[in-house]
Amino acid sequence: MILPIKGRIDSANAAQVEQALQSQIAGQTDLVLDAQDLEYISSAGLRVILRIRKEHPELRIVNVNSEVYEILDMTGFTEMMTVEKAYRVVSIAGAEEIGHGANGTIYRIDKDNVVKVYNNPEALKDIQHEREVAKLALILGIPTAISYDVVKVGDSYGSVFELLNARSFAKILANEPEKLDWCVAEFAKMLRLIHGTEVPAGKLPDMRERALDWASFMKDYLPEDAAQKLYALVAAVPHDDHMLHGDYHTKNLELQNDEVLLIDMDTLSVGNPIFELGSMYNAFLGFSELDHSIVRKYQGFDRELSATFWQKSLAAYLGTSCPTKIREVEDKARVIGYTRLIRRAIRRDGLQTETGRAEIAHWKGELLELLRSTDTLLFDRNELEIEAVRENLEEVLAFLGERLEAADCTPKARMQLELAVEEIFINIASYAYNPDTGKATVRIEVSGDPLHVTITFIDRGVPYDPLAKADPDLSASAQERTVGGLGIFLTKKLMDDVVYEYRGGRNILTLKKNLE
Amino acid sequence: MLNVTKTVENGQGTISLEGRLDTMSAPELELIVRDTIPGLTALTLDFEKLDYISSAGLRVLLSAQKQMNHQGSMTLTNVNPAILEIFEVTGFTDILTIA
Repeated sequence: MILPIKGRIDSANAAQVEQALQSQIAGQTDLVLDAQDLEYISSAGLRVILRIRKEHPELRIVNVNSEVYEILDMTGFTEMMTVEKAYRVVSIAGAEEIGHGANGTIYRIDKDNVVKVYNNPEALKDIQHEREVAKLALILGIPTAISYDVVKVGDSYGSVFELLNARSFAKILANEPEKLDWCVAEFAKMLRLIHGTEVPAGKLPDMRERALDWASFMKDYLPEDAAQKLYALVAAVPHDDHMLHGDYHTKNLELQNDEVLLIDMDTLSVGNPIFELGSMYNAFLGFSELDHSIVRKYQGFDRELSATFWQKSLAAYLGTSCPTKIREVEDKARVIGYTRLIRRAIRRDGLQTETGRAEIAHWKGELLELLRSTDTLLFDRNELEIEAVRENLEEVLAFLGERLEAADCTPKARMQLELAVEEIFINIASYAYNPDTGKATVRIEVSGDPLHVTITFIDRGVPYDPLAKADPDLSASAQERTVGGLGIFLTKKLMDDVVYEYRGGRNILTLKKNLE
Repeated sequence: MLNVTKTVENGQGTISLEGRLDTMSAPELELIVRDTIPGLTALTLDFEKLDYISSAGLRVLLSAQKQMNHQGSMTLTNVNPAILEIFEVTGFTDILTIA
């Protein structure tokens, strides 16, 4: 039963209001007070609500304006019972569309604000979900925007974000082709940040479970042996607690002033990065394999740029310039990509139209060919995530040794690299999480022309800039000398470049050494 | 991995190192040096088979040198060029005697 409460409720009329309400609610269930026309409520009024709630514990108050909401919030009512705000109405007539995601469309409503309008008219739950996961991501160190208001847009719900002077990467790429390499670097950096973020168990859905569903779905549409192989490939991907965005493309990365922000967070999940690369492949290339014009429609630039951007981003993400290696990972991504595309098309009645049938046949042909040559979906990101404890030094050095194998570097350069890795890793193990322990990520890229090694250490310990420390006094006599700071000093001297930054709750130390 | 062999005769000690002197092995050398040093007038550290040294190793060398300064002399022999460069960069060539 819904009952309106109106005007002002204070000590002058509280008794009267209570009597009126009590006379109507006897024996009623599912009681809701509609506060649309409620202007003010005093403590006498609040006591009336408390007494009604005693008999009707299910009582909710809806359509509460912001002044009244503030009173209910301050007095703890919003925590004690369900209080729903009245939704501001926002128009998107003439508003610029700045993004388009799986579950909604984003419009700029004024200079500082954007609204994401959800496709599903029953979206309140989705909105709540997106707010929660965006908050989670922010806490875990992912720069993102969190909505501050829920509004009504026509018959749909929308969530409002503050996004000042922001431009999507899609727009930058379309209008400023000279920024291609910068965009690639930032795009790959953000992707590595997402995939390097460990999510507490149970907070986000597991993408592996979903991928197994996709693979099962394909059983009716692929030859038996191919379907079995596809399922086995997905099943062999181990569980992974690291974050995936789920819809990572150039419209979901925004440059706001000098900061890069990730938006459209409702598809966040956890899982192996191959699942992300699969949907990225689709956004850049898979979707538009038969109809190249689709890319422009979705991203605002042509397919040639889309292909270039994808290739370059994948290379930067993997930390390799080796075309064979990039191709191998792309093929694994395509296995996931085509599986999703075929399933999606079939579920949208793609088999009933000629275009749909042509697309499905094409994707299926590609998938079958890939399945013949694919033995695993796992790939190597030149990264080792390891508990930062001294005992693991050997494993970190073994990882370095593996990476350097192909590099043909001199024993001296190798020793210097080992020394730098030891000094930094032991520093993290000793101080970053003291007295607890935590993880460190070590990323090693060997790339060419001129041949050089880039080693990145990431930890989530206390902020610490090792470069800020003063160099030791080298002229002191043996009796006066102490050994503090020697490790960092050696690292600075033996590497060609050492850069520290603190970003997203992480210490990030990057070492570079030329091998030629 | 670090292998250490030592000989002591008439107050002359020699400690030969083989392998890697790093964070993990430095404490072991530190203990051996501490046991060996009392009564020595000369200590030789043979680096012929030492491939690697990090700041943890430098720390042990410095404390050995400080102690030997009180009671005699300490000499490093057969230091390979890569390790010598570490000594040069850190100014250890000025405080150690390298033969």
